[in-house]
Amino acid sequence: MADYAHPEVLVDTNWVADHLNDPNVRLVESNEDILLYDQGHIPGAVKIDWVADLNDPVVRDYLDRERFEKLLSSKGISNDTTVVFYGDKNNWWATYALWVFKLFGHKDARILNGGRAKWIAEGRELTREVPNYPPAKYVAPERDDKTIRAFRDEVKEYIKKSGVALVDVRSPAEYSGERTHMPEYPQEGTLRGGHIPTAVSIPWAQAVREDSTFKSFEELQELYGSKGVTPDKDVIAYCRIGERSSHTWFVLKYLLGFPKVRNYDGSWTEWGNSVGVPIEKTYQG
Amino acid sequence: MDRQEAIEFLLDHYQHPRNRGQLENADVVMPGGNPGCGDVVTIYLKVGEAGDHVEQVSFEGEGCTISQAAASILTEMVTGKPLSEIDQMDFNDMIDHLGREVVNTRPRCATLALGTLKAAITKYRNDQIRAGLDADS
Repeated sequence: MADYAHPEVLVDTNWVADHLNDPNVRLVESNEDILLYDQGHIPGAVKIDWVADLNDPVVRDYLDRERFEKLLSSKGISNDTTVVFYGDKNNWWATYALWVFKLFGHKDARILNGGRAKWIAEGRELTREVPNYPPAKYVAPERDDKTIRAFRDEVKEYIKKSGVALVDVRSPAEYSGERTHMPEYPQEGTLRGGHIPTAVSIPWAQAVREDSTFKSFEELQELYGSKGVTPDKDVIAYCRIGERSSHTWFVLKYLLGFPKVRNYDGSWTEWGNSVGVPIEKTYQG
Repeated sequence: MDRQEAIEFLLDHYQHPRNRGQLENADVVMPGGNPGCGDVVTIYLKVGEAGDHVEQVSFEGEGCTISQAAASILTEMVTGKPLSEIDQMDFNDMIDHLGREVVNTRPRCATLALGTLKAAITKYRNDQIRAGLDADS
């Protein structure tokens, strides 16, 4: 992990095992499957759910500052706590939760490399005991929607600009317009298929190995650089609702050290349903 | 049923699914899916000879704990039931049956199997109408 631009944002399973009782560290499990945590989690870990905890219940948006403060306080997380996220599906939802924490500027947020799958594959301890931490004091700034988050109209401007890169992290069939969702998933959700003009296709999971850990710095550099996604550019990543692209955002920002990377969370469910926005479709079926 | 009991109920059905697998001689095979979290369920429905009740039902699928447990639970609920009774089954009733406190943030996962079963019944009835028309012509 030492070759990454910011190796401090990744911890391995040994590190977590050594810090299970560290009061300055809080493990946070974030999964797609909401009941995985209840079936067993790393001792001491709390659960944060992307629907119930991180989304606004009415507006398509994230929680506000007040709710964020309450959420973190209830999990025993203070401004100085080292938060280590992990989860299912190659840490897909863990990086999403980390990205939301960064919208509020949480200082020390890390990812367990390999996630839930690696911890279990190594035969490490799981528990069904839900910890109860005393409420912590957490003071958050207003959510910063400019630095690491992108919106549709900004993306529209990027289509015409030079020195930028749009990265479509969905599957090739979604990119081409053949499908509007991942392979094996039902074909629903958007009215049009295809991709945002000028976007290059780099499926998010190409950044990880079979054991769910991230590929090396060199492998990642080759993966993105070969498609013209280089650190001198302003980069915006997108997928369907911004979850898979948060994973790519994490890779580009922290592992490769790109100075300007944003996640377009409106993603294809906004773009593919919007009236009059340009779309490229390469699928000819 | 409190929260923990609801979780145990769901986990039991997820880990030991009832009526899972293909059904030989099914009248209808109906696939269903939920794009929100990638759950897929296929319902196999065998209707009784009189055409008015569920003789047998099974499912296959993949996805999150709630979607697969709910499919298993549903097959137990509806076996032998009149089709008209399933018409009256409300998605909210299903959510309550599974444990609202646990599944309320994943309503589409919780009701995927029921929605797919209702679609299977609609297809069965349409097939019957079509078969009747073919016999008349």
